[in-house]
Amino acid sequence: MVEIPQVIRAFGTTFLNMFKKPITEQYPEEKHLYPPKPRFHGRHQLNRYADGLEKCIGCELCAWACPADAIYVEGEENTDEERFSPGERFGKVYQINYLRCIMCGLCIEACPTRALTMTNEFELADDERGKLIYEKSDLLAPLLPGMAPAPHSMVEGFTDRDYYSGKVTGATPKQIEEAGN
Amino acid sequence: MGIEEKLPAGVLLTSVEQIVGYARRNSLWPATFGLACCAIEMMAVGAGKFDIARFGMETFRASPRQADLMIVAGRVSQKMAPVLRQIYDQMPGPKWVIAMGVCASSGGMFNNYAIVQGVDHVVPVDIYLPGCPPRPEMLLDAILKLHDQIQNTKLGAHRVAEIAQQEVVALATTPLIEMRGALK
Amino acid sequence: MTILANSNQPKSNDNDLITAVIDGIAVRVPKGTLAIRAAEMLGIEIPRFCDHPALSPVAACRMCLVEIEGMPKPQPSCAITLTEGMQVKTQNSSQVASSAQEGVMEFLLLNHPLDCPTCDKGGECPLQNQAMSNGRADSRFEGTKRNFQKAININAQVLLDRERCVSCARCTRFADEIAGDPSLELLERGAKQQVGVADDQPFESYYSGNTVQICPVGALTSAAYRFRARPFDLVSSESVCEHCASGCSLRTDSRRGKVLRRLAGDDSEVNEEWNCDKGRFAFRHLMQDRITTPLVREHGELRPASWPEAIRYAAEGLRNQRAAVLAGGRLTLEDAYAYSRFARVALGTNNVDFRNRTASSEEQDFLTNHVAGTGLGVTYQDLEDAQVVVVIGFEPEEESPIIMLRLRKAVRNKTLKVIAIDSANSLGFKKLNADLRLTKPGNESAAISELIKDLQDQNSIILVGERLASSHGAFSATVAVAEKVGARIGWVPRRAGERAAVDAGLLPNLLPAGRKVFEPRDREVVASAWGVSVEHIPTKPGLTQLEIISSAVQGEIDAIVTAGVDINDVANHAAFAAALNKTFVVSLENRASSVIEFADVVLPVGAITERAGTFVDWEGRLRTFDAVMQESLALTDARVLHLIAIELGHTFKDDAKVTSLRSSYSSLGAVSKPGTMNLVAASTTKTGLVLAGWHHLLDNGSLQAGEPHLAATARAVVAKVSSETAQANGLISGNRVIVRSKLGAITLPLEISEVAPETIWLPLNSEGSSVAMQLQIDIGAEVSVSDGGAI
Repeated sequence: MVEIPQVIRAFGTTFLNMFKKPITEQYPEEKHLYPPKPRFHGRHQLNRYADGLEKCIGCELCAWACPADAIYVEGEENTDEERFSPGERFGKVYQINYLRCIMCGLCIEACPTRALTMTNEFELADDERGKLIYEKSDLLAPLLPGMAPAPHSMVEGFTDRDYYSGKVTGATPKQIEEAGN
Repeated sequence: MGIEEKLPAGVLLTSVEQIVGYARRNSLWPATFGLACCAIEMMAVGAGKFDIARFGMETFRASPRQADLMIVAGRVSQKMAPVLRQIYDQMPGPKWVIAMGVCASSGGMFNNYAIVQGVDHVVPVDIYLPGCPPRPEMLLDAILKLHDQIQNTKLGAHRVAEIAQQEVVALATTPLIEMRGALK
Repeated sequence: MTILANSNQPKSNDNDLITAVIDGIAVRVPKGTLAIRAAEMLGIEIPRFCDHPALSPVAACRMCLVEIEGMPKPQPSCAITLTEGMQVKTQNSSQVASSAQEGVMEFLLLNHPLDCPTCDKGGECPLQNQAMSNGRADSRFEGTKRNFQKAININAQVLLDRERCVSCARCTRFADEIAGDPSLELLERGAKQQVGVADDQPFESYYSGNTVQICPVGALTSAAYRFRARPFDLVSSESVCEHCASGCSLRTDSRRGKVLRRLAGDDSEVNEEWNCDKGRFAFRHLMQDRITTPLVREHGELRPASWPEAIRYAAEGLRNQRAAVLAGGRLTLEDAYAYSRFARVALGTNNVDFRNRTASSEEQDFLTNHVAGTGLGVTYQDLEDAQVVVVIGFEPEEESPIIMLRLRKAVRNKTLKVIAIDSANSLGFKKLNADLRLTKPGNESAAISELIKDLQDQNSIILVGERLASSHGAFSATVAVAEKVGARIGWVPRRAGERAAVDAGLLPNLLPAGRKVFEPRDREVVASAWGVSVEHIPTKPGLTQLEIISSAVQGEIDAIVTAGVDINDVANHAAFAAALNKTFVVSLENRASSVIEFADVVLPVGAITERAGTFVDWEGRLRTFDAVMQESLALTDARVLHLIAIELGHTFKDDAKVTSLRSSYSSLGAVSKPGTMNLVAASTTKTGLVLAGWHHLLDNGSLQAGEPHLAATARAVVAKVSSETAQANGLISGNRVIVRSKLGAITLPLEISEVAPETIWLPLNSEGSSVAMQLQIDIGAEVSVSDGGAI
């Protein structure tokens, strides 16, 4: 077998690569082509029930699970006049410090009501420390069609147990009216 | 109305500040300051797949005199802090700092005696980038946000006034030690 | 192994010991020891809910089942007393015991809701823990759990969630046996069994918070702490209660620089494991209305200033002035010591007094000779061991609630008789089954002299309260009686810092540790402990608070240093205000107070959670505590005074840090024997209607500010008279009564009660009845009354 000189082999590699498509991701322009994987750990989200009541009960288990001490929660009692979640308790203050959070997802595993999940959003960089502490208002899931923003009462005749088992499908006219006020 | 309408086609008007900003932002040269796991992602950004050469950043400089952007990638130990400051001091101005990853930004999960709780205790930070470590796109995003800042930086007397204004705001903010909640 | 009796067990000698075997380990214990206690001593943990060492056994929860050889079924170890040779097998060595416990746990969990994430007990819950350690992994129950309305109030600050209750009866037993307020009961039977109160009768008790602490599940929770935090993110610190002279040990739980709750600490020598609701729930004053920067007065207005400026300003105002120090009754020992030293050395005066209340020279004489520097005197254990305890001018439940619990414990054991000499009957006296001798204020000394026949040949203790200062001759009579029958005397002030103030020499004739101003030898000892020359300590006894006020009004005092005083606490508050108005006032405070409007310099000091210190309780016991907020930058009074002293050109041996002041004080030693008091004869008996009263535990006190739930459990504010007095003065029960002094009037609902003749009883500082502010008189003063019409 005739040995091809090293030099030619090397240039051959270069030559062949000229016909390959570039692997470079054109990040900001074509980022839709390279989405993160569905299970990517991005920014958190506080979910809502189908009628718009918050799932978070302020139990602080996420804060307990957090290895970086990045979550701060304060609970408060729901009243008949001002109800944010089904049941007795809701999270009044909810803060995540993204300059401590390591996106490990232990908080998601700890959450007993699936209130806390992670989105795929990752463009979080900012120019001030304070701006990277996300408040409850920054973390709450957007209102989907059929949801009325809390506070409002529970769907009439339903208990918190019904909410947990997913029997609520949307806001009733009464709830929408209350939320409007 | 103004002079813009009277100009022939192909001529644009802009301010000196904008031109200088444009030039500066497209010729950032980063100094290497990889300290831990984040540095792996930072290297990826330099390689073909993400290729920061697209933004005129080309190579990481090992010599601070030839760099104007410091990407602090990883946890800064107390012993590393003076070294970091020295590298920063050796860089010619104007210069910028990105705190890459939670450890550089705030100490992250290493809330202990050995780690500087945020590199902003040592050098002024322009962009904080969360993530542990941030994926390369996140670093690119941070760089682009920095570009935006550089583009809009003022010059000369305006810059002096801007600094004075920032100083007033900084003095009025609550000191870190008095902040409550997750911040601390 | 032999286990010696601890305080919870009957005293025993060697003959009373028996031998039993637990899990194969032989143990010698006193007769009558419960199996669960013996196992505890061996380090064997038997799960339990209803068992509590301070409560009588009921075996209600059945969780502590163990196998006992010779008995057909598992037995509850919390109710079985060990007998000679008994063989006990716990879950560690017996399958029978272990499966019995698992079965009981399964039953307990049948009706227990799964709301641990929202439950305040979650994370520190014995049910959670023992379900993990001694329960089955899953339940076989498929039915519906019982449902009750979630949280209902059993009083304004305790909430009851009946779904979570495991019917252990700890709370009902506490209410009945310890607090003596038995309105909490187990109602209904079977699955419906629940804790409850009568509809019209909430659980009114000064000790209700303890039920929250001993509840082994989340059935009883406190309204103030409801959903505030979870136990796992709280930092617990040991601390000491600042509310009264009982000296309770507390556990303070805080999160990120904020106190969220307080629990009773475990100190068998003082509060055992109880405390009162004031100590438990009144802590918002630590965070409310705080002064954060020094303030100086400029053009009639207070403005923020830097520390160096304020210190300099204060020093200039005090330099070479005729000065006085009014230092309140809430200081720690170290701070009181620093004030004492500052007054003597930096201000060159003995014009110091801590008594911002009714006071007399007779009381001062008593404190000088029988209290100051005497160290640990009568103790809680002594009260328990005594045969007779006399309380004079002191209502234990209202004025020092832990003393009441100790006395009640002994009364229930039928070993103690309580005699009370006071102006009115009260719930506390009733609970103590006290032999009450109703005495018109001012006539106490006669009643005290009659005690001799009760106390002869008895192991007796006399507790005197600070109210006795208003009765001329009463302290003298007490000392005379005590000397005659060999009784011991305990002085119980109302505020936490008063005993420390006496020990630190915050009286015009006293130096620290009972040393006397007029004794050259004492002055030398104190001067060497301070590191100053003896000429720096003035020899002339100073003025008392009343004298300081009147001298200042007359322009004979130029400057006053105040700390923790409220001008509205004293009857002559108009003169007090005038005195402060005329003088240069340096005020050391942590919150806005009534003195601030007169102050020329306000120097903010740390709240009690922000610094270390020592309280001295009524026993004379040092109650040392560390800062709860370790990272706080707040200064102590002692440090601030030190800075002023340096500015004035005085230095001391030490640096005024808490630890160095503590060792400086202890280097002075204790007084070996009491001094001799000048006994004074009682004045003539007062005629006409006089005022009596005491402070309710829960009232308008400034340390209870901002606690709506606590305030709602305060006792009803009523005026009390006997039926004879009512008749004589034309007063009608249920109507309002108007009580008048020369300077003001108070209108309150009237209650006919057991009150001394020719006496009207008022709460001294409750809503609508602030005697010092409205009537501007002290107890024992003459008043006139008239009917105020129907309510």
